[in-house]
This record gives sequence, structure tokens and C-alpha cells, in this order.
Amino acid sequence: MDNSGKEKEASALMAEAEKKLKSSQSFFGGLFGGSSKIEEACDMYVRAANMYKMAKNWCAAGNAFCQAARLHLQMQSKHDAATNFIDAGNAFKKADPQEAINCLNRAIEIYTDMGRFTIAAKHHISIAEIFETELVDIDKAIAHYEQAADYYKGEESTSSANKCLLKVATYAAQLEQYQKAIEIYEQVGTNAMDSTLLKYSAKDYFFKAALCHFCVDMLNAKLALQKYEEMFPAFSDSRECKLLKKLLDAYEEQNVDAYTDAVKEYDTISRLDQWLTTMLLRIKKTIQDDESDLR
Amino acid sequence: MVESRTLSEGVWIITMAYPKTHNPFADDDEEDEQQPRSRGGIDEPDEIGLSEAERKQRYLQQQVMRTANSAVESSQRSLGLIYESEKMGTETAEELMRQGEALKRSERMVDNMDEDLKTSQKHINSIKSVWGGLVNYFKAKPEANKLPPEQPVGYQASSKLQNALSQSKVHEDKYQASHPNLRKLDTGGFGATASEDDNSYSQNGYPANKHLRAAHKTLDSNLDEMSVGLGRLKNLGLGLQSEIEDQDASLDNLLNKVDKMDLKINKTNQQLKNLK
Repeated sequence: MDNSGKEKEASALMAEAEKKLKSSQSFFGGLFGGSSKIEEACDMYVRAANMYKMAKNWCAAGNAFCQAARLHLQMQSKHDAATNFIDAGNAFKKADPQEAINCLNRAIEIYTDMGRFTIAAKHHISIAEIFETELVDIDKAIAHYEQAADYYKGEESTSSANKCLLKVATYAAQLEQYQKAIEIYEQVGTNAMDSTLLKYSAKDYFFKAALCHFCVDMLNAKLALQKYEEMFPAFSDSRECKLLKKLLDAYEEQNVDAYTDAVKEYDTISRLDQWLTTMLLRIKKTIQDDESDLR
Repeated sequence: MVESRTLSEGVWIITMAYPKTHNPFADDDEEDEQQPRSRGGIDEPDEIGLSEAERKQRYLQQQVMRTANSAVESSQRSLGLIYESEKMGTETAEELMRQGEALKRSERMVDNMDEDLKTSQKHINSIKSVWGGLVNYFKAKPEANKLPPEQPVGYQASSKLQNALSQSKVHEDKYQASHPNLRKLDTGGFGATASEDDNSYSQNGYPANKHLRAAHKTLDSNLDEMSVGLGRLKNLGLGLQSEIEDQDASLDNLLNKVDKMDLKINKTNQQLKNLK
């Protein structure tokens, strides 16, 4: 594939499209079907953008899509405009994350205007992912995930909403906003309890909620644990519950070794992931701080 | 059989100077066979003074310990695998629920499109001809029959599962009682094949040697956990299966509707072109 040739073709197309635009705005163009000229210009922009994509010139492709989107807006075809903004966002994702976010935001505005909240929510998630990975800004990522969850809830897609909420909770707990995380985990856990398929993951959510309680205060954790056991009897049989009880005991006795042993024992059977390890380490530090305080 | 084995092993022991390095990918059986031979040669050079029978006894005891330990380790591994499978199963279940919701949403939207197409068809009829317009006027307002915008319903997973669960539990108990392998084995029998020392038994069937007892206890509790975990996995699998069946039916339904919709749209397009 001759990619550089494609780029030249693409630039030629762009120039042609611009010429068409200018001509449509002139007097005669306006008389003789200016709108069809705009449509043709739109098409040309899109074709040029696709060729830029083939040549992997992401910035130029994004720009071309943006142009096309603006023309669509002029022609009042909001749907097409939004689609083109999304294409622009995808192209920019690989080159300039900030531009991508701008394009995606504009697309979301158009969709929410039209009342298509599900698609808007989906793109909020894309933006949040960009904030997670490329422009690491966890607060904004959380904000977008929350917005997405709200839209999904409005459209009665509880499981998609839950997926976003869980991400919010994970980051909130990492940023020590324990109250928020606890609320979310408890809510999702209680929802999951009743469903035949989801109840197998309910214990996981209660475990995480209890850990967040633990980070705040041990007494909270104990009460919470009892509450969860009452609500959800199957929780008491799970290994997570047993681990929690051992950790609570170790904390009461201020025994760091027992704590570490319990964690190690759990780890031999199910690997602890990054989030869990961070939380457990935080709790362990509070034990060690207390110990040194007492001395 | 044991005597001849010991003799040949004696020759083996002299030739093998060092134990093979631990290969984590080697079979469990291989490890068990290699280690006794090599270890027997290393650790008791002063054993030559002991009688043949005592040496054999000690060797067999070590072998018992090794087997018990490797059994415990293997049960730990299996337990870990079971939990991992459960985790993957739950994640799959969540994805399935999400997919089910999306399917229901798509069906709703297709129904909406259907209604819209009917309205546009009416308009085209009135445009096409005066006669068509009159017919339209006399047709009992089909808009009254239009589906009220469906309240988006919260998605419910298949509830056929509840019956399946309760039934399977009843059957499971009956099955366990009847199947010979599942009847609780008498652990006294376990001890008999393990060691030749008669006075190492304690009353409850566990060998008195405390290391061995600890190993057996761990093994038993791990096996219990494994059986509970497997039961959970089975139920999870059943739930997933019924959910997938429902979604399959949904998909077929959706496909039909979309095909019909496609035909209608093509027809409408044709009519519009002819109007021009």
C-alpha cells in the first residue's frame, strides 16, 4: 500500500472540499443548490480523513473529521455531526489525547441534546479511560465515570451503571475517599445479592466494603461485617469473611505477625491483586503505628 | 516385592550422588519417585549401623510424609484453581447480564422504529394520491393502537434457575448417599496402608505422628472446601447456561424483527423515490 500516495490524495481532496465550500458561499452557489455542494464537501472531507487514517496521519485525520462534523452541524444533521466527532476523537486518541477529549465532549453534548443518553454514557466511559491511561488525572476520570453511571441508571441499564460505579469506588478508595467507596460497594452488593447470577460476586463487594470500613476504623469494620453476615448468609462461609475475622482479631491484639500470616495464607490460594494489597498494607501500617505509639 | 526393590535401590543410591534440582514442571509422580531414591542416599550415612528393617522403616516413614505433603500441596493448588474459575465465572455472569440488557434495549428500539415506519407509511399514502388520503382518513386511527412508550423494565435474569437449583440439591444428596466412592471413607483404612508400625495409631483413625496428622487434617479440610467450591461452580454454570438460552431466544427474535424492518425500509425508500 502506497501510504504516502494516499496522503497526497487526501490533501488534494481537502483542498477540493475547501474550494467547494467557498464556492457554495458565493452568490451563484447559493442560488444553484448550495446545500448539495456542502454535502459533497462533507463527503470529501470524510474521504480525505479516511485516507489520512490509512496513512496513519492521525492529527490530519482528526482535523478532517472535525471539519466534516462542523459542516453537518450547519446542515442540521446532528446525528452525522456527532458520528463524525466520535471518529475525530478516535483518530486523535492515538496522537493528541487532549484534542480527543474535546471532540468527544462535543459529541456527547450533541447526543444528550438529542436525548440519546446511552451513547453519551458510553463515550463518557471512553473519555474516562483516556484520563485513566494517557492523561493521568484520576479525579476527572472519576467524574466522567460517575456521569456515565448516572446516565445508565436513567436508562435502566443497571449492570452497565454498576460497572462504572465500581470503577469509581476503586479509585475513590485509592484516593482515601472511603465513605464514597463504602456506599457504592454496599449498594452494588445488595443489588447483586438478589440476582441468581450475580450473587456469586456479591461476597467480593462486601469484602471490599468491609476493607474500606477497616481503613477508617476497626469498630466500623466489625459492625459492618456482622451486618453483611446477617444480610447475606452465604458470605459467612466464604474465605474472604474468614480472612476478615482473622485480620480483625490480629488488629485487636495489635499483632502484626498474625496479620501478615493471615494475609499470606489467603494469598497462597487466591492471588491478591494490586488494589487489595494497597488497602491491606494501609491497614497494616495503622497497626504498626499504634504499636509504636503505645511504646 | 519390597525386598527386591530395596536391593536395586541400594545400587541406585550409590550411583546418585546428588538429588535432582527441583523442576516445577515435572510430574508429581516423577518427583515422588526421584526424591526417595536420591534422598535415601544422602541423609543418613551413619545409618549403616542400623539394622536393615529399621532403615526400611525410616525410609517408608519419610516416604509417607512426602506423599502426604505433596497431596496437601496439590489440594491447595486445586483449591486455588477452583476459586479462580469461580471468579472468571462471576465476571462472565456480569458480562452476560449487561449483554442481556443491551439486547432488551435493542428490541425496544426496533419496536419504536416499527411504529415510526408505520407513521411514515401513512404519510406517504396520503401524498401518493387523494384516494389514498381518503382511505387514511377512514382507517380507524391506528395511532390509538400505538404501543404506549414502554416503561423500560429492569432486567430480570432467568428465574427457571431457582427450580433447577432446589431440584439439583435434592438429587445431589441422594446421589452422594448411593455412590460408593462418595461415602465418607474410613480414615482408619488410610492409616493401615501408610505405615507398618502398629502402635502409631491413635483412637480416631488418624496416625499419631503429629506432622502426619496435621497434614491429613489439612488435606481433609481442603477436600471439603473443594467439594463446596465445585458445587458452587456447578450452580454458576447452570445459571449461565439458562441465561445464555434466554438470550439466544432473544437474539433470534431480534433478528426476525430487524429483517422485517429492513424490508419495510427498502419498500418505503422505493415509494419515496417513485414519488419524486
